[in-house]
Formats: sequence, structure tokens, C-alpha cells
Amino acid sequence: MYLFRVIIGSLIVFILQVTMVPRMTVGGISPDLMVILLVILVKGKNAVFAVVVGFLLGFLQDLGNASYLGMNALAKSVVGYGIFQACGGLFPDNVIFRGLLILGASLVNDIIILTITTSVSLTDIFSWFFKFSVLSGISTAVIGVIVLEIINAATRRRTRTDGGF
Amino acid sequence: MQILSFLFDKHIDKTVLAVAVAMSLLLLTRSEESKVRSARAVSDVLLYPIHSTEKYFSDIDELREENRKLRRLSASLYHEREKLLQFKDERNRLRRLAGLREDSFFDFLPCEVTARSSNRFHNSVTIDRGGSDGVRVGMAVVGYRGVVGRVTQVFGSTSRVLLLNNKSISVSCRDKRSRVVGILEWDKGNLFKLEFIGKEEDVIVGDTLLTSGLGELFPKGFPLGTVFHVTEERSGLYRNVGVVSMANLKTLEELFVVVGGRDWENTRIYEELEQSLKD
Repeated sequence: MYLFRVIIGSLIVFILQVTMVPRMTVGGISPDLMVILLVILVKGKNAVFAVVVGFLLGFLQDLGNASYLGMNALAKSVVGYGIFQACGGLFPDNVIFRGLLILGASLVNDIIILTITTSVSLTDIFSWFFKFSVLSGISTAVIGVIVLEIINAATRRRTRTDGGF
Repeated sequence: MQILSFLFDKHIDKTVLAVAVAMSLLLLTRSEESKVRSARAVSDVLLYPIHSTEKYFSDIDELREENRKLRRLSASLYHEREKLLQFKDERNRLRRLAGLREDSFFDFLPCEVTARSSNRFHNSVTIDRGGSDGVRVGMAVVGYRGVVGRVTQVFGSTSRVLLLNNKSISVSCRDKRSRVVGILEWDKGNLFKLEFIGKEEDVIVGDTLLTSGLGELFPKGFPLGTVFHVTEERSGLYRNVGVVSMANLKTLEELFVVVGGRDWENTRIYEELEQSLKD
């Protein structure tokens, strides 16, 4: 059941990423919903799961741009592993920590992608990173925190309801 | 064995990460063609619902664009209609000054075809409007593209419409371009013959025929058909004129009963027709 929920959730987020996010892009800045999804999925799981899920989500994203097949898979695998390492399997109930975690994940993801797309041109990496990645990361973090809070609130409510009966 | 134990027992997380990174790099270093082929093969299977969703959203964009165009068209048509109404008023004023009767637009009662006659020698349809809706025997019935027939029987909430493709119906019509008057009679299918056209009269292929309003059975000015061939008759007096009907009489769905207009506002003709049916 959990796996089914993960697959359906991932597909929905991917559909949103492909269809809605390009419409929300302002001046090249857009949130990466796949990073948020990765954070949500990795939360409370082990490192192997984090890497595998990261790879699969990235691969799914790569299918949309075959020229860089493997790029997002690489970035998301590393980010998944990084998220696990940063939390150590725990996921503190702290908005600032979560925001910084998602921001960090988004920035690492962008650095890897920029490294590959610019063929390791440091000038381009730095200019594009400060031009697009930082603000995109912040937008991803803001949306991610809101989504996590909603999920937390829903989970708490369900727990309370179940406990009441 | 020790190496495997080291990799998969002690450092399973790092091993999995290394495998994932290696696989990603392997994918990245493949040829462009190979990448595209692999991606297409996988995405065809996996992304079918996503492609459908994407198409749905792009269809919405197209519909929005179409809607925008239609709104513009509607606005311009509204403006044109207003202008035409002004022309109509002006025309009526001038007709009054010239001592002619006033013109008016027709009123249309929309209806749907609910049944077709099974008799191939008596082509008629049943419509979902009847006496309770104001339909009367003799009223003309038109489609989007032209006249299709006239009401021959009226019931409470339905009516029977005799279509133009009957040997018993003849329609007085006028050539829109040359104003030549003739009688339209059914030949076969959607094809008609224009009778009593003398060899000197100006009718050519492509001409549009309109109801002349002379027979009083059909109101004036509705399109009937287009001339598709003109040949000389053997006797040399008349010409054979073939006409194809504007409306496809075999696929009628939505129609309009002409319930008002000049001459048709006075009910004399309907009363006469009803009386003749009773007799």
C-alpha cells in the first residue's frame, strides 16, 4: 500500500512538475517539486532507500530531456544520500531546519546539474548559480516547508481522530 | 568474500550510492542517439498518462484561444447585426414611402428530428414540436443551410415534416444572381431539377437558388440549392438544370420551423391548408 501511494504521489508530482511549473516560471526561476518530493519520501528512511528513490525520481525527470539522460538521476541520488546524511534518519519538527534542508538539497541538485550542462565551466556555473539557482532554491524551500506543514497537520489530525475512536 | 562483506554489509549505503552514480555516469556518456532511443522506449511505457495530461492542458489552451477568437467574431457579428437592423429600418421606411408592404425577419422555432419515415417514396421526418408550441400545417422548415420541407401534420407535441425530396413537392425558386424564376422538383437523393427554364434564360453552374416566395408555401429568400449542371433539352425549348440541395436531407438533426415573418404573420394560408386537409 505504501509503495502504491509512493508511485501515485510521485507521478502526480511529476505531472505537476512537467505541466504546471513551466507556467509558474518567472525570469527563469521556478521551484523543483521533485526535490521536495525526494525530501518527503526520504524522511525517516534509510540511506539505501534515499539513494534508490533519488535515482528513480531523477531518471523519471531525465526521460523528459533525453540529451542529458542520467543527469538528474545522478543529482537526485547524491541529494537523496545527502538528505539522509544531514538528518541522520531523523527529521526534526523544525520549520527553519526543514527550509534549510530543502534549500540545501535544491542548491546541491542545481550545482550538479550546472556542472554537467556547462561541461564544468566554472564561470558559467557561478553566474547561473547566483542568477537562477539561489532564488529557485528559495522558492523550492518555501513551497516545500508549506507542503511539509500541510502533511504534518494532516498526519496529526488523522492520529488524533484514530486515537479518539 | 571479504570485499563483498565490506561493500554490502558495512558500507551498503555508500555502495548503493556508488552504483547509482556509476549508472548515471554510464547513461550520461552514451551516444545521443542511444540516449534518445532508451528514453523513448522507457517513457512510452511509463509516461503515457503524463503525455495524456499534458495534451489535455495544451488542448485547453487551444480551446481558450478558439474561445477568444469566437468572442471577437461574436462581437463583430453583433456590430454587423446592429448595422443590418438599422438598414432594415431604413429599408422599411423607404418601402413605406414607395407604397410597398413592410418587410420583417422571420421567427424560428428550434426543433429536433425524433424520427424518420421508413417509406422511401414518402420522405418525411417527425420533429419534437407540435401544436402546443405554435406549429401549424404549412409552416416551412429550414436547416442551418437552407429549406428542408414543410409541416404536413401537427399533433400535440410533435409534427410531421414532408421533406423536399418528394415527388409531390414543388418549390418556386429564384436564381440569386440573375433573378430567373423556376420550379424546383426532386430528382433523386439530394439532387433536384429546375423546371421551366427557357434556353435563353441566364442560369449557369454555381448559381445559388433561393425560395421566391411566389407560391406562398415557402417564405421568400431561403437558400435551396446550387446549380451543378446545365444542358440543352432535345426539344430546344428548355434547358436541363441540375441542382444539388444545400441541406443534406439524409442527415437532418436540428431544424427550425419558420413561425413568423411577412405573409406568414397572417394566418390565412394556414387556415386554408388546415381546411383543405379537413375536406
